Amino acid sequence: MTLEPIVGRYLRLSVGAADYRIYFEEAGQGIPLLCLHTAGADSRQYRHLMTDEAITAHFRVIAFDLPFHGRSNPPDRWWLEKYRLTTSSYVAFIRAVWHTLGLDRPVVVGCSMGGAVALKLAVDYQHEMRGIVGLESSAHAPGRYNEFLHHPAIHGGELAASYTYGLCAPQSPESSARENWWYYSQAGPGVYAGDVHFYSIDWDGRDAIKAIDTNVCKVSLLTGEYDYSCTPDMTRQVAAAIPGARMVIMKGIGHFPMIENYQLFRQYLLRELEYMRTPSS
Amino acid sequence: MFTEAWLTRFQQRLNADQEMAVIGDWFTVSMSLSCDDQRRVLRFERGRLAQTIVTPKLDAPCAFGFRASADIWRRFFSDPPEPLYHDVFAMLMRVPGFVLEGDTLVAMQHARALHRAMRVMRTVTPA
Repeated sequence: MTLEPIVGRYLRLSVGAADYRIYFEEAGQGIPLLCLHTAGADSRQYRHLMTDEAITAHFRVIAFDLPFHGRSNPPDRWWLEKYRLTTSSYVAFIRAVWHTLGLDRPVVVGCSMGGAVALKLAVDYQHEMRGIVGLESSAHAPGRYNEFLHHPAIHGGELAASYTYGLCAPQSPESSARENWWYYSQAGPGVYAGDVHFYSIDWDGRDAIKAIDTNVCKVSLLTGEYDYSCTPDMTRQVAAAIPGARMVIMKGIGHFPMIENYQLFRQYLLRELEYMRTPSS
Repeated sequence: MFTEAWLTRFQQRLNADQEMAVIGDWFTVSMSLSCDDQRRVLRFERGRLAQTIVTPKLDAPCAFGFRASADIWRRFFSDPPEPLYHDVFAMLMRVPGFVLEGDTLVAMQHARALHRAMRVMRTVTPA
């Protein structure tokens, strides 16, 4: 028998006038490392990272499910409002988790839409953070939204899972890419579409990210060469807009590095986490 | 590009595919594959490629199809494929010359099986 060190708990918090019951997992001790999952998925994507002793020896790794995702419930009366994630609602929710858990100067790791909002956090709250590790981070990512993502004549789970499966690199282990497929097949109706509304329509940080001071908040950007949603060129544009940002294009990796090929990804990640631990000069 | 011999090899490989046998129960549809001025029609029945039509006429209806130039198809079939050409959804988003024509709703209703068929297809190298 193997008992993993990941511990899952529920958190009660309020954002605006709504109350939430949020599921989160954590492992390790040290610098808070707050992990943000991708659109239409949940915190399970970080399970490898949370069992990596090279990380948990130095970091308190925390991953939570956004409302509507995984084991986090929607707020009351959710059935009366179309789910649409926005930049402001996404940031407000992350901040609520951050404050409620009392995270002191965390490092934020986010992938895809999480990588996008990590940039926004670094713009607005850079003095309260050690840094961000943006995975597949773009400042503007139009083109992913389409009406078929939530359509009565289409199985939304199978479409979302198939639509995102090809975002993995062809070299990634099949079992890992399929694990992510499975997560994507489990989102509620319209949740992936609602997330993509943030990622591909509402989010535009092209001007704002120029305000990030990497002497205050470190920025590491890791993007897979096979990512066609946030292409390497899109991340290069982010890096060019933030003086001092570090950037690596990861060979043989796609859009979901932490779940599609963790063994390869961790070689890149550990370097950036070491950088995050190093005191700023 | 899509010769009779190649179509036969694809048919054999797809019809032996273990995954398609699991997911293909509702994959009954006809689609076209077009390369420059060549066009083929593939008729699927319950996940099996039942018929390939090399010179389709008026009596070979199909719901949707993929159309691209020979250069784009060659890049799709390359091993390992270059980024943006490694998956049909990648090409639909990032390769302007790769087109999903016809009834896209029907295509997306079959997204899982269609995607699997195209993944298997990519492993059958054209002559």
